[in-house]
Amino acid sequence: MNVTLRTIAAVSMMASVAGCGTRETPGRGADSTTARTTTTTSSSGDVALPAMAARGAAWLPPGADDGNWLMPSRDYAGTRYSPLDEINTSNVAQLGLAWTFDDGAADYGHEFSPLVQGNTMYIVSPFPNRAYALDLSKPGAPVKWKYEPNPSPIAIGKACCDAVNRGAALYDGKLIFNLLDDHTVAVDAATGKELWRTKLANVEDGTTMTMAPLVVDGKVYVGNSGGEMGVAGWLAALDVNTGKELWRAYSVGPDSLVRIGADFKPFYSWMRGRDLGVSTWPANAWKHGAGAVWGWVTYDPDLKQIYYGTSNTGPWNAAQRPGLNLWTSAVFARKADNGMATWAYAMTPHNEWDYDAVNENILVDLPINGQTRKVMVQFNRNGFAYTIDRTTGEVLVAKPFGHENWASGIDPKTAMPIVNAEKHTVPPGRWVRDICPADVGVKDFEPSAFSPRTGLFYVTTQNICMDYQGREVSYIAGTPYWGADMTRHVGPGGNYGEFIAFDAATGTKVWGIPEPFLTYSGAMATAGDLAFYGTVDGWFKAVNARTGKVLWSRKLGSGIIAAPMAFRGPDGHEYIAIAAGVGGGAMTTASQPGFPARGSSYYVFTLGQNIPATQPATSGGQGGAGKKQGGKP
Amino acid sequence: MTLDERSRGPRGVMRRRTRLTAAVAIGGALLALAACGQDSQDVRGGAQGDVALPQQQAGVTRSTDTTGLPAEGALARVAIGDLAGIGNNTLDAQITNPYANDRAAVEVGQEYFVKMNCASCHGYDLKGGMGPDLTDTYWRYGGSPADIYKSIFEGRPQGMPAWGRALPPDVIWKVVSYVQSQGGSYPGQLADRGRQGDLGDSNRDTTSFSTLKGRNNVH
Repeated sequence: MNVTLRTIAAVSMMASVAGCGTRETPGRGADSTTARTTTTTSSSGDVALPAMAARGAAWLPPGADDGNWLMPSRDYAGTRYSPLDEINTSNVAQLGLAWTFDDGAADYGHEFSPLVQGNTMYIVSPFPNRAYALDLSKPGAPVKWKYEPNPSPIAIGKACCDAVNRGAALYDGKLIFNLLDDHTVAVDAATGKELWRTKLANVEDGTTMTMAPLVVDGKVYVGNSGGEMGVAGWLAALDVNTGKELWRAYSVGPDSLVRIGADFKPFYSWMRGRDLGVSTWPANAWKHGAGAVWGWVTYDPDLKQIYYGTSNTGPWNAAQRPGLNLWTSAVFARKADNGMATWAYAMTPHNEWDYDAVNENILVDLPINGQTRKVMVQFNRNGFAYTIDRTTGEVLVAKPFGHENWASGIDPKTAMPIVNAEKHTVPPGRWVRDICPADVGVKDFEPSAFSPRTGLFYVTTQNICMDYQGREVSYIAGTPYWGADMTRHVGPGGNYGEFIAFDAATGTKVWGIPEPFLTYSGAMATAGDLAFYGTVDGWFKAVNARTGKVLWSRKLGSGIIAAPMAFRGPDGHEYIAIAAGVGGGAMTTASQPGFPARGSSYYVFTLGQNIPATQPATSGGQGGAGKKQGGKP
Repeated sequence: MTLDERSRGPRGVMRRRTRLTAAVAIGGALLALAACGQDSQDVRGGAQGDVALPQQQAGVTRSTDTTGLPAEGALARVAIGDLAGIGNNTLDAQITNPYANDRAAVEVGQEYFVKMNCASCHGYDLKGGMGPDLTDTYWRYGGSPADIYKSIFEGRPQGMPAWGRALPPDVIWKVVSYVQSQGGSYPGQLADRGRQGDLGDSNRDTTSFSTLKGRNNVH
């Protein structure tokens, strides 16, 4: 689609939800066209966006400033927005390669965004999860220290979808991340010495850990992977100083395990009741019901709540688990201090298609129907973009953001999906053709970005469908509890990917860039009005965040499935970093002609004028120049 | 052992059965595993306490009749890698699968391949997924029948569980038969060639795996 969609009507909030059932014809009715002007996505003319841009230090981890990047999404709201603007729409065409780094772990996908604090960049490899500190003050950013945790190789074969790592956190002088074999570690950011290592689960059971921890107010939030292995999902809080587990909130089971108490007030009546994490399952089935927490956690410092989603329901074969299967394929709001749930919402109850709800929940304030609302926005695997009141859990907007055909819409009263009868996968043992999206979703874990300057979300989407048949499966610990067979194919139009700008206040795509290969990278937006993304065939691109015009692109050594980040180097200039190492869910299309080889390199770009033609190998050359201009600690 | 000769679907997968008839042979412990749709095992290391799986329990019921099967002692001496100092390893060639080319055994092997969740890792078509492709010539731990038996029995370090305490030897050999029937393995006589990287595609080499395998996966 193109920019003409900007003129498409935005209807009122309620009508917006109600319109989901007939989304194929957005903008029908001339009367609704005028409403668009009241919710323009331009930063002029609405009240919420300046407030978003002016959010204070509480929305950033301690020690953050405009030039560093201490957590994967940079801020607690999950925006992946950099306030740097030295690189902008007028000069991005001059971007050049400053230096590269290879972590040597090319066997597995690279979904990690580098972190930068002061003069140091931090990178954690996929399995075996080696951590590197790179000295940005010296030419070529040499390795300052290396940390080798030596996780158990058993974990490789228990990870459903590649032995990846999705991120680390810098907090109070510690680099904190998860090992694939179910340990969380804290490493001294200055020396690389291990400070603590906490075992969270037994890898032999099929549990792995791939997600990026979130650290807030001395607590480290971590969750498990293993949605295809019959795990019971959980999120745990650890003490940042000791690694000691403070509490653990399960995604399934009785209220005591799920940490549901008197504060729990889901907006919709079908999620109210006692021990629904047990009673919406056949006897004991919740114990292997998944709801793994392998995606992103965000935090609202005003409401003091964390937000995260839970994975697919286990097993995939839904015939073995009649019921709503709460709280899988759902999002939780919890009190950050004690983990007690305040609300939840299951996007895909009784999930028959592997539509996890673990994607990032970006916390923004948007003008909706003339009112500024505190919302969270999630681009769900199931193809719907949800704009939800993050105080109450009320779904304000739920519209498709790509091609899906499993549901005709989201019921405006109950917020339950209206499932297309022919896409049910129950009973199992028969092939159900052309279910869109495929299991990997219209968007997978790869995180989107939000710019408070444009009010738009930047999202890599997937145009992929599946033929699917459920299979009976028994639970055997340490083996997959999966129960499905499938083949995947490209969706309508033949382009596997599309990078889109999306107005979550109205549920409208503003522009899109179709791509022949999957777009499986994360996105980043900058104050230079640029949006960055990468493709599975290895193109890294910068586009005008307002128009979607591609302004710069470079072909990297492998496909891109990680999110970009930006930082100000010791020389005072803005840099953009990205990993190229295809893997993970992108391998579902590995048979596509031209699909690249795996890789393990990081690429760091800056404006060409700031890149010296030669750099002395010894310190005192450009490194010294960095000190002159730096001004950074 | 009762065998079901029902026709297969388009992907070579047997139709669903209501009972796993083969389980009769291996005792009640595995009947529990085979009961689809029933969550007969508690979560291991989970919230509700640990309940050990049958294969973790002492005295698990196992078939003791190993008549006609390769001796465990001989299998134990088959090396994954090369032998130090004393020349080529010929043990693979001396150990043959008693159920090779036995169609009934292949069917039982396929049944277990699905029921024991092998298919979830290696694919219902054996072409790989979480676990390696079993239909190509690349075998990290060897592709002779003895090698495959040992990989199933012992498990392997990157997440392949050991099945030697869960399944009796005859069932493991039948699973090997199924894998052999899908074309990925190579005869024990070629184990040395496999270890030395000499099983590549070459139509001129009459002893190569690819030629032996042929278009019809017969060898």
